[in-house]
Amino acid sequence: MAFESRPFEHDVDTLLDIEKTPLQRLAYYGRFLWRDRGGMIGMFIFLTVVVAALFSPQLSPYDPLDQRLRDSKLPPAWAADGTWDHPLGTDNLGRDILSRIIYGSRVSLTVGFFGVLIAATLGMLIGSIAGYIGGRVDSAIMSIINLILSLPYLLFVVFIAAILGRSLLNVILIFGITDSPIFARVTRGEVLRIRRSGYVESAISAGARWPHIIVDHIIPNLIGPLITLATFEMSAMIFYEAGLGFLGLSVPPSVPSWGNMLANGRKYLTNAPWIAAAPGLAIMYTSLGMNLLGDWLRDVLDPRLRRARR
Amino acid sequence: MHRYFLSRVLQSVLLLLGVVVLVFFMVRITGDPASLMMPRNATPEQIEAFREAMGFNRPLIVQFWDFFTHALVGDFGNSLHFKSPALPLVIERLPATLELATAAMLMAILIGVPLGLLGGFSPGSVLDSLARLVGLLGQSIPNFWLALIMILVFAVRLGWFPSFGRDEWKSVVLPAFALGLATMGQIVRLTRSSTLEIRSEDFIRTAHSKGLLPRTIYTKHVLRNVAIPLVSIIGVQFGYMLGGSIYIEFIFAWPGIGQLLEQAIGWRDFPMVQAIAVFTSVAVLALNLLTDAAYMIIDPRIRYGIRE
Amino acid sequence: MKRTTLLLSLLLAASLLVLVACAAPAAPAAPAAPAEAPTEAPAATEAPAPAGPSGTLVRAISTFPNSLDVPQTAERQASTTAWQMFDSLVWFDDDGTIVPSLAESWEVSEDGTEYIFHLRKDVKFHNGEPFNADSVVFSWQRAAQGNFEYSTHWQRADSVEKIDDYTVRITTPEPDALFLSIMADNWAMIPPGYFNEVGQEGFEAHPVGTGAFKFVEWVKGDHITMEANPDYWRGAPKLEKVIFRPIPESATRVAAVQTGEVDIATRLSAEEAATLEGLEHVQVISYPLTRIFYVAFNNLTTGVGQPTEDKRVRIAMNLAVDMDAIIDAIFDGHAKAANGMVASGELGYDGAPPFGYDPERAKELLAEAGYPDGFDMGMACPAGAYTHFEEVCEAIAGYLGDVGINIDLQIMESGQYWDLEAQKQLPPLFGDSWSSAVGEAYPRLIGSLGGMDFTYSAWYDENIAAMLEKIKVTVDQQKRAELYRELQAYMREDPPFIYLYEPVTFEAVNTRVKGYRPRSAETYFLFNVSVEE
Repeated sequence: MAFESRPFEHDVDTLLDIEKTPLQRLAYYGRFLWRDRGGMIGMFIFLTVVVAALFSPQLSPYDPLDQRLRDSKLPPAWAADGTWDHPLGTDNLGRDILSRIIYGSRVSLTVGFFGVLIAATLGMLIGSIAGYIGGRVDSAIMSIINLILSLPYLLFVVFIAAILGRSLLNVILIFGITDSPIFARVTRGEVLRIRRSGYVESAISAGARWPHIIVDHIIPNLIGPLITLATFEMSAMIFYEAGLGFLGLSVPPSVPSWGNMLANGRKYLTNAPWIAAAPGLAIMYTSLGMNLLGDWLRDVLDPRLRRARR
Repeated sequence: MHRYFLSRVLQSVLLLLGVVVLVFFMVRITGDPASLMMPRNATPEQIEAFREAMGFNRPLIVQFWDFFTHALVGDFGNSLHFKSPALPLVIERLPATLELATAAMLMAILIGVPLGLLGGFSPGSVLDSLARLVGLLGQSIPNFWLALIMILVFAVRLGWFPSFGRDEWKSVVLPAFALGLATMGQIVRLTRSSTLEIRSEDFIRTAHSKGLLPRTIYTKHVLRNVAIPLVSIIGVQFGYMLGGSIYIEFIFAWPGIGQLLEQAIGWRDFPMVQAIAVFTSVAVLALNLLTDAAYMIIDPRIRYGIRE
Repeated sequence: MKRTTLLLSLLLAASLLVLVACAAPAAPAAPAAPAEAPTEAPAATEAPAPAGPSGTLVRAISTFPNSLDVPQTAERQASTTAWQMFDSLVWFDDDGTIVPSLAESWEVSEDGTEYIFHLRKDVKFHNGEPFNADSVVFSWQRAAQGNFEYSTHWQRADSVEKIDDYTVRITTPEPDALFLSIMADNWAMIPPGYFNEVGQEGFEAHPVGTGAFKFVEWVKGDHITMEANPDYWRGAPKLEKVIFRPIPESATRVAAVQTGEVDIATRLSAEEAATLEGLEHVQVISYPLTRIFYVAFNNLTTGVGQPTEDKRVRIAMNLAVDMDAIIDAIFDGHAKAANGMVASGELGYDGAPPFGYDPERAKELLAEAGYPDGFDMGMACPAGAYTHFEEVCEAIAGYLGDVGINIDLQIMESGQYWDLEAQKQLPPLFGDSWSSAVGEAYPRLIGSLGGMDFTYSAWYDENIAAMLEKIKVTVDQQKRAELYRELQAYMREDPPFIYLYEPVTFEAVNTRVKGYRPRSAETYFLFNVSVEE
């Protein structure tokens, strides 16, 4: 999953203007966001997905599991026989596709969010240890991590998922653990850079204590690149969760997830294409939005590239 | 330089050992490998007999040593489905997967690099929009979904390409495109941003003032700049493609390793899955060493281990 | 930077994709009754026999055969593929009756444990080796003594002896009513000389039999090719070449039969079959699989002391479920309501009407049994194991609720489910299915009704057990059929299951293919099949 962002990861290790206060920085980002339409669109898309996930019961016109066999395979509203009762149509068991898409965002976002949370926590731990100790330990850990990142990741994910069986928790754990090396690499890069920059040393000599240093210097510097990375990785996890669903290895089939909907819908591709089209577009929409958002974050956090864009 | 390369080899071997350990314990993570590998409706007696036959009732350490020493010489036991040694069955599928991955990679590079260059030359143009579109869509279209739609459109409706199999040169077009789109998107983005970056460099302006043709300059510099990340993309993306090939080979009935893995999981043929995991890791790590060697030729600084 | 342009093109691309998908001239949405039992291939009018074998048939199968050596084949599609190259001593005809094949005739001893087979004298293996009694003895020895997937099917015989070159005596330890069926389905004859020369590995790499088609090549995961055996003892086949292509993704199989890249695509679902309706060059055929879905009652463990011990309650529950409505809604009508535990086409199937839907009568029966207000009961079904079975279970729970039986339905992951089923710890009602490939229902019946002695059984009834014991030792087919009919009648008066449905499978066949007749249990024989160019 890290593959989407990996070649750019040199962009991620970025320079932050450390002199600015957080508030000033936020205002600055805001202005930048306003100017960058791609980022705006990305943010908008991301927010719609979050809202859909948070308020699924309020937004869904129907219960996503409610079958009405009589109304199965109704086309979307804009098609000839469609009705606005089911704006995106119904699936083979007469379940409302719009409602299922809305509920599906919960699975996707849950996997993405908690997967990234675990990956980031583990990765930060390993990365900061490597970066902090430095020397041979560091280069050994990093070489191994680089090699791990080159392994056919998806293959191992499928292997593990096949053994553990279908459950949301398993999917989250699998992504969380297998994706941690990329976070470790970025964290370690940042920690090294901060250490080299010398202000930690000067803070220590000025009598600052470690908790203080971590809160004041390390975290603010880490947070930018890690958020950028988290955005890309979350998008990738949503993507791969759907892929696992397609192979029948993600959440149980009764759960409305985009991957499961796609896997089910492919049987009807010729006579009821909307069943597979809707979840496919939902995955595309979310992934697109998060990539635009990630691009924007990277631009904001990386002055080098920003200059090049003008 | 030799020392650097040697340490890379050593690390690869170490990681490989790690992979062997991982695949050994992975099938035991649920506690009972016998019931994991037997059909779901096997009777307890059948499972017990299987456990006996596979030696799963021996102490873990004995089993591990057994597995490990056999794995070293490429013996992962018999495939449960084919009842014959697993590894040769995997190696047999390698050419097909290599062919698909290479075709996908070539397609990604041959379309991606020019598109990125053209987009970068004239930001905001129609071509640039196309480049950005490919860059974004490459990352956001699920390839398995795209594959199904491409079969419907280009095989069933238009009849331009076969819908499945590996028979003639046309057979590879649809699966290679579906598999390569993500990589193509990355290459477009990479080339495009490199082009933009170069545009803003001082020496370009100098070159301008000297009256040299701008496009030749761009292209030369951009390609040189892009070469290194491109090589690293190829290394990394090969691993990605092996993963993605699970979907693509499955959908297009392409007789490669990814398809074998998808089926092996369905058969609960875990000795086969283990062999696939280890073998593909070997392949990817070997390819990585090759890219390392390529780096050293492209960029002499690496010889001294400056690049991390 | 024209982000707007970008956005517009994005939207355009997205909508294009949707359009491409949607605007596709949707194949006329399943005209009513698409698969109304064309159990016979397109226009059975036999094409005038061409001079020699001609044409190539491409058959898509859904999985990769593990082996083409019959005793080693792991599942149905592998064995039916392999069988095109082999023959056994006996064979099923189109009606499922056992008829001569490599044996011209046979006699069975009085006690039913000794068979004398008289072999054909004009048969040669593909490599020129003659087929004779030695081949039979050798084939049996190899498979019965080896550790093959299906060695057990050969071990049903105690001994196979040569009497003379074309006569063999086969004995079984006890009267074995299924023996000939098992033989027809498993005992592929192989050449001893060739096998001894190349060994097991060599034989699997290049199998040799007496069948209508000869092995040409097998590219693993890609295709298996066979060519006509012009010296076949039944006469030369009509096809010159047969190619088997494994295509695991069913959407791709559908596409490939639409484009004409394959002539026959197997294992399609009702939905996929509906997709292909209305295409000029494709005919969809369907036939029931010999499998029966049911909801089991339990009188061994969790069901002890429950209302379902009263047979009136069990009959009421059968009457309360509208099986036809469920089949129409969930399977587009493509399944057959089961009338018992014997599948249509199996020996002794009585063709009696199923219970039918009569909620009023169901309520009366419940009241008679002392439950006028119904009762509460737990029920379980496996998830992801069978097509749409979760939905079927939900529908059943709904119907039972309508007559006052409140069902607490648990849908469980199938691995865990079968564990619990084997331990007999599922709730007093549980859904499952059982297939049988031997042409009769015995394995299914004993497996699900054998009481504590059988892993997946949750029911014991001494009358049923006695009848099953009789079936087990009766060799005469007529008498067995009679016994099955008796048992079916009994099991409708005192049903140990809610009988659900027999699933149907679909194949799509290009109309250029003539004479193709698949049978239940997915067997087929390509000897008489031809293609029009």
